[in-house]
Amino acid sequence: MSTTTTPTGFASELRAICGADYVVESPAENICGVAPSLAVTPGSADEVAAILRFANEHGLSVVPAGGLTQQYTGNRPAHADVLLCTSRLMEVEHYDPGDLTIGVGAGWTVAHLSSKVAADKLFFPGDPALPERATVGGLLATGLYGPHRHGYGGLRDYCIGVRFVTGDGRKAKGGGRVVKNVAGYDMMKLLIGSWGTLGVITSASFKLFPAPRQTQTFVSCFSTAREALEFRSRTLRSPLDPVCLELLSPRASALLTPGSPAAAWWSVCLRAAGSDAVLARYRAELGSAVTHEIRAGNEEGFWSAVADFAPTVRERHPDCLLLSLMLPLADLAPVLERAAADAESAGWGLAAIGRVGVGHIMAALWPSADMKGASLDFAKALVGLRSALSRDASMTVLACPEEARGELKAWAATPTDGKSMRAVKQALDPNDVLNRGRFVS
Amino acid sequence: MSLPEVVEQLRKIAGRDAVLDRPEDLMLYEYDGGIRKSTPGAVVFPQTTEQVSQIMRLASSVRMPVVARGAGTGLSGGAISQRGGIVVAFSRMNRVLEVDVENQRAVVQPGVVNLQLSEHVSHLGLYFAPDPSSQKACTIGGNVAENSGGPHTLMYGVTVNHVTGLEVVLPSGEVVHFGGKGAESCGYDLAGFFVGSEGTIGIATAITVKLLRKPEKVATLLAIFESVDDAGRTVSAITAAGITPAALEMLDGWTLRTIEAYCHAGYPLDAGAVLLIELDGLREAVEEQAEAVSAVCVQQKAREVRRAKTEEERALLWKGRKTAFGALGRVSPSYYTQDGVVPRSKIAATLQFISEVSKKYDLIIGNIFHAGDGNMHPLILFDIRFPDQLERALAASEDILQYCIAVGGSITGEHGVGMEKRNLMPVLFTEQDLDVMTGLRNTFNRDNVLNPEKLFPTPRMCREVSGPARHPVLAQEGM
Repeated sequence: MSTTTTPTGFASELRAICGADYVVESPAENICGVAPSLAVTPGSADEVAAILRFANEHGLSVVPAGGLTQQYTGNRPAHADVLLCTSRLMEVEHYDPGDLTIGVGAGWTVAHLSSKVAADKLFFPGDPALPERATVGGLLATGLYGPHRHGYGGLRDYCIGVRFVTGDGRKAKGGGRVVKNVAGYDMMKLLIGSWGTLGVITSASFKLFPAPRQTQTFVSCFSTAREALEFRSRTLRSPLDPVCLELLSPRASALLTPGSPAAAWWSVCLRAAGSDAVLARYRAELGSAVTHEIRAGNEEGFWSAVADFAPTVRERHPDCLLLSLMLPLADLAPVLERAAADAESAGWGLAAIGRVGVGHIMAALWPSADMKGASLDFAKALVGLRSALSRDASMTVLACPEEARGELKAWAATPTDGKSMRAVKQALDPNDVLNRGRFVS
Repeated sequence: MSLPEVVEQLRKIAGRDAVLDRPEDLMLYEYDGGIRKSTPGAVVFPQTTEQVSQIMRLASSVRMPVVARGAGTGLSGGAISQRGGIVVAFSRMNRVLEVDVENQRAVVQPGVVNLQLSEHVSHLGLYFAPDPSSQKACTIGGNVAENSGGPHTLMYGVTVNHVTGLEVVLPSGEVVHFGGKGAESCGYDLAGFFVGSEGTIGIATAITVKLLRKPEKVATLLAIFESVDDAGRTVSAITAAGITPAALEMLDGWTLRTIEAYCHAGYPLDAGAVLLIELDGLREAVEEQAEAVSAVCVQQKAREVRRAKTEEERALLWKGRKTAFGALGRVSPSYYTQDGVVPRSKIAATLQFISEVSKKYDLIIGNIFHAGDGNMHPLILFDIRFPDQLERALAASEDILQYCIAVGGSITGEHGVGMEKRNLMPVLFTEQDLDVMTGLRNTFNRDNVLNPEKLFPTPRMCREVSGPARHPVLAQEGM
């Protein structure tokens, strides 16, 4: 690694790669408390590769960015030289509705992708927060998802190909454009959820699904999380096959759907797709467990509010600790109970939602108004929760107040071997160019 | 260290009765379901993870190649040793370690036979979804190595979609964990990355898999067509109608007649092609979809659509599909199965191309394949005793795979690259793509001790690809 170049020095190099219009010095964005020296918006995968080769040679650190909806996650980077924006990577690689596949540039927003395929009565199940801004590249890099994770699987199940540039500037790909393909290593798996630490995704291909003709949402309310989760387990043992199966804590309901009758309860929201006969069967099976139904006109609004949980809770409680937990199904009840008990004894607020049929929970904890949460309190809150986690549990700290960032690691718990992860990072980004210090250390 | 010394060390590690090294014993391990052969130096049968770890440490220290082997049913040479190497066979690590009903998971040793796991949990109303045709014999360890599929992967996905955690022995002998019982894990998805790495990264010694609840209702249809073209168009039409069957298989006329003569599955003898279609799920949904699919088939000129009325009838229809390779063995001394994939809209054109290839090389090519996801299985019949026939079979196969690539597809959907397709990898991937992948392999498998000469082309092959590439099988047979 050579000596650090001054921002003005490398600005001209980057202008030579992308054109002067696409390099901005001292951009307004803030990455986990650090201001990048400049922002660059390449127009092709080749330009991305040229930028990363340059950064790799000169020891620069690069923060890849899509719609900037999730950049608040991560440890504080030592510094951030270049913010690499993917918004100009907008090609359509392939799209034939008859194949039920599509390949698009990383800069496509998720909303754009969804509406394009909806015109052909197809459905793209990726449903992150803020889909009007969130990009395909960001969706893959963060590996985050919303309520449709239950019925359609995760990105690892329906992303069938990816093109990317490694930290040292090599253009590469994995998979392809067909739905079944085992040729070569499965690079999609490495990049999904890697939070931009292994490569900059430049385009991706996906399986699509036939759009459901109609759906109906059934809401069941319970006084405790445990009862709600027992209902979840009964549903999973039944022949029912819903597209969403979501748990909302009382405070989560109050936040997402103010005035809803569910706001006093732990509610399980089940979304079913199918004909009148199929929906009638759901009604019959669920029986008296259903407290109310959300009718067609209000359904989309409700589910997009659920998908927007993270930004909504952060807007209301900017000081919150926001966690993403992936747990074995049986661990959900003890972990939620522990979180609720800890929150109550500390006088903190707790809002949680989750794809409880899959084992995914997002939980927000915040100190009450009269207690300014000290960084240590956040660390303590995490220690309590961690003691309830089994060996198989995964936990990511999605957000925390700036003053607590130093105390908390973003990748807080995982069953996967750390040494092997660092070896993979070393193979694809040997000089630690990408998101230096934010996730892997 | 000489081979006899290595064998002696292996006996110390795994037990005196757990190592084979006599030529007549090794012969049983020199082939798999593909067409290549290579005799190993020794075969060892570990019983514990610790023994696998010691074997890996020994092999790495003497730089002796190692290949893990399940049942040897693979079709790409993945489980064949490099000449003189060590085969680590998993027939004594075949226990289901745990069935965790509440978490919908099982933890199994790699030698557990695919179908046995489903049978093991059947009384709980659960099953393991990936169902390769060889599922009565193939092991879950092998399924993990090759990322195996099967007819029902159309709806349920291939092996990687059903593996959440692995215990892996690395070439260093170190035992590590990738993922666990959670649906996904924080950090890099190394479990997902490992599945399908064809034994080049490490050896899985415990596998955590998803168990699915058996569907309430299953409908199995047999749609009979006068021509392959009509059947091919029907596949796209079913998809266009917004229906995703659990399975959607096509058999052409020649293949179904050959199967019918062998196992009397009840296939029509005079048809041009049939589609075997399965729908599963909630009773109401299945009934509606079965009606809709039948209507589409009739619209696309199906002569007749039959529906299995009993579980026995259903089992018989599937028996025909799953014993196809056995049936072919009766009519041809050798056959070469390909595994190319094309976009679904290209199926009819690909079948047309295959029939031209059949004429060009004067070889019978049957087609029995996973039509729903465009995964073609042309079966090229030849007689291996005649070198010119083998040469034509390989050339025909390469023509077909080149065509699959040209229309946007892939050279393998579920069998793996193994030995025999690695010369085509440079057509599918750029030098830099392969450089990134081999860099990852070298990270885990620095000395290339694990399953060398698989999956990746040698640098020589990369350079040769623009000219007429010599097929590795021909090179090996000295042809």
